[in-house]
Amino acid sequence: MANKSYNIYIVGLGGQGVLTIGDLISDVAIKKGYDVNFYPTKGMSQRGGFVQGQIRIGCPEVGPNIPPKGADLVIAMERSEALKAVRFMKPKGDFVLYGLVWAPTAVMLGKADYPSLDEVKGELEATGANVLILDPELLPEYNGLKVRENLFVLGAAMARSGLKDILSVEDIARGIKETWPKGAEENLFAFECGYKAAQS
Amino acid sequence: MTKKIVSGNEAVAYAALRSGVNVITGYPGTPSSEVIGSLMKMGKIEGTKIEWSTNEKVAVEIAATAAWAGKRSLCTMKMSGLNVAYDSLIGIAFSGCIGGMVIYVCDDPGVTTGMCEQDTRGFALMSDMVMLDPKSVQESYDFIKYAFELSEEIQYPVFVRSVTNVAQSHSSVDIEERVMPNLDAPVVKKDINKYAKAGAVMCMNQHRELIDGLQKAAAILEKKGINKLALAGAKGGIGLITTGVCNGYIDEALDIAAEYGCKIDNLSTLRVSASVPYPVKEIQDLLRHCAIVVVVEENDPYIEREAYVQAHTIGVNTKIIGKLDKTLSRVGSFSAIHAAKALCKACNVELPAEAIEYGKEAAAKCTARPITCCAGCPHRGTYMAINKAVKNAKYKKEEVIVTGDIGCTILGMNPPFNTVWMEISMGASIPCAHGFVYAGVDKPVIATIGDSTFFHGGMPGLINAIQHNMNMTAIIMDNGWTAMTGMQVNPNTAHEFQVEGCKNVDLVNVVKGMGVDNLFVVDPYNLAETTAALDQALALPGLKVIVARRECAIQANRRKVKYALITVDYDKCNSCKSCINTTGCPAITLGENGIIIDPKQCNGCGLCAQTCNKSAIVREVI
Repeated sequence: MANKSYNIYIVGLGGQGVLTIGDLISDVAIKKGYDVNFYPTKGMSQRGGFVQGQIRIGCPEVGPNIPPKGADLVIAMERSEALKAVRFMKPKGDFVLYGLVWAPTAVMLGKADYPSLDEVKGELEATGANVLILDPELLPEYNGLKVRENLFVLGAAMARSGLKDILSVEDIARGIKETWPKGAEENLFAFECGYKAAQS
Repeated sequence: MTKKIVSGNEAVAYAALRSGVNVITGYPGTPSSEVIGSLMKMGKIEGTKIEWSTNEKVAVEIAATAAWAGKRSLCTMKMSGLNVAYDSLIGIAFSGCIGGMVIYVCDDPGVTTGMCEQDTRGFALMSDMVMLDPKSVQESYDFIKYAFELSEEIQYPVFVRSVTNVAQSHSSVDIEERVMPNLDAPVVKKDINKYAKAGAVMCMNQHRELIDGLQKAAAILEKKGINKLALAGAKGGIGLITTGVCNGYIDEALDIAAEYGCKIDNLSTLRVSASVPYPVKEIQDLLRHCAIVVVVEENDPYIEREAYVQAHTIGVNTKIIGKLDKTLSRVGSFSAIHAAKALCKACNVELPAEAIEYGKEAAAKCTARPITCCAGCPHRGTYMAINKAVKNAKYKKEEVIVTGDIGCTILGMNPPFNTVWMEISMGASIPCAHGFVYAGVDKPVIATIGDSTFFHGGMPGLINAIQHNMNMTAIIMDNGWTAMTGMQVNPNTAHEFQVEGCKNVDLVNVVKGMGVDNLFVVDPYNLAETTAALDQALALPGLKVIVARRECAIQANRRKVKYALITVDYDKCNSCKSCINTTGCPAITLGENGIIIDPKQCNGCGLCAQTCNKSAIVREVI
């Protein structure tokens, strides 16, 4: 397998399936013959707590931590949390933000600030990356229920980032089928919708 | 052999099985818990005894005598756990072992788990024990296997020390088949000169032999070439020493340094994978070869200090760059940027602070998310009751000290409760309260502690408080599980959830048996009952113990337990937000017509309903 190295930083909140897509990408990349190290950080996290994953693909000897400006692809699953990923974004890399707003209690009570979309967008663009912001309104339904947002965002990332030079849509689709033999159809639908949303 | 994607911790578990391990003990502690956690998920493993012990000291004692009986044993813990185990471990090191004994400990540079950063290499040095430092998931597997062999060869226990980002990384490893443990009848030799300490001669002899044992290990490790020295180019160039996880950052660091104008050809390297005993010969060879040596290691500069010692010993003037010259920090976890900074320094180039600090300003704008209790957490009721009782007794919150302890029970320090004041270590809450009373604090003092923490290290403190008849209140928040580390069983876990063949030790009986006169057992879901117990406790003299007993909501949720149906009466809800302000429950949000309760998260604990003074939240028992 080509020894092209590729680093992915994923950030979001507990319950969003951040680590699930980390597992999926790592799994698929390992099956394709890449050296992979996936370091998920959940620490004390819980539903709604900070979660991050660092995936390092294609380096036989590499430490778990991505250095500043070291991520070819950033996937951020929540607007405010995306600011934590700025540090890792490689200039000219790809930044995919799912613009969900998940306000903590203090914000809900008006006791703390929450960054505006423009503010976040400004920070992301200042990294020099190609920025794609997905409106959560775009999240489709399957049989009347909203699909998994993580696979939707992964689909968008596949369409619009260098990840497609590492893994193919078919590779990921195969991974989805293997991970969820029962929910394959729904999850493939979520993935494909994300892919199409990013193309349009 | 099968290729499997495993975490560093799982790799340790598989390597121990491959090594024919007889006994595995430990106490949960992130980031080390998945070793025993993954083994317990494998079902019954014939021939190997695996347990969560009451605490790390107990765990290491069990593992030691299994090894003294000629069996192979593994003991796992996080770095703070080693502090607990160490009282025994140093004695075990003096005695040595017969069967292979491996201590697997995880350090946490960068504090992902909210405990003091500490560099376990210091303990290995103090007890003259070998310490292997895997840099990856694969090495975690390889080093555990080797540690068993080495331990048997030198007849002393061996450390394998991981760090969070290795222990929790996932990677592909070739997992070999399990080797059945040696199930021959144990041979235990009576030998007080080896296994007892009371006697200056025997104890000093043990010390001498221990030091010799480490010398022997140094020779074995050097012959094996576990620490990889690669001298490059002519003499007078730059050398780099890295240890453990930092061994993986070298190539990347060179690339980053080149971006900043430091093109280093012919970098000599020493990758340290066994930090204790120090790789003296390799360090000396590198110092002789290089004009400058850069040392990159997380936390404390142990190898760097040894480099100064060895430079002095062999009489070279090699310049050393690392932490002692303040280039790198003793705090936090590293990435390649830190190694690059030190390499740039070797080239007389100052890496701009911006290169390391990049993006931190943006991150600072991110909304804070203080960790709080899960929806349905029984601890919520206890914090609410404490706050209420303090108010009922006409004290200000700032007047009543509430000491805290390790685990989920510390979450009471965060909003909206702001109840708990401090934490030190496992079981410290009760002696901390005791100390405040001795100091002359004339307002009530309350200690809070979880059930697993109580059994781990809380009991001596409570017995002491009982004996000295302290005027204070201890609340044992009993949720039946060791929750924060991922739901392990503890002595107090209900009988039906105990591992087969184990029995439940009832916490209330234990406390009663200790001789507590004023004991209250309450359900923290019942705010009135819990508050009433606290009202009484704050008024009574002497020692009071309240056991607030209700199963952890996460564990109950896994069995789909719903206690009630909670609905909102929108005719009554005036969006006063009092329920949100008091409970901070993540299942409650503010909608346009009043509060909204997420039925997926809500388990019907009903604490919100008990705080609503408009009776707008309705609890219906299902």
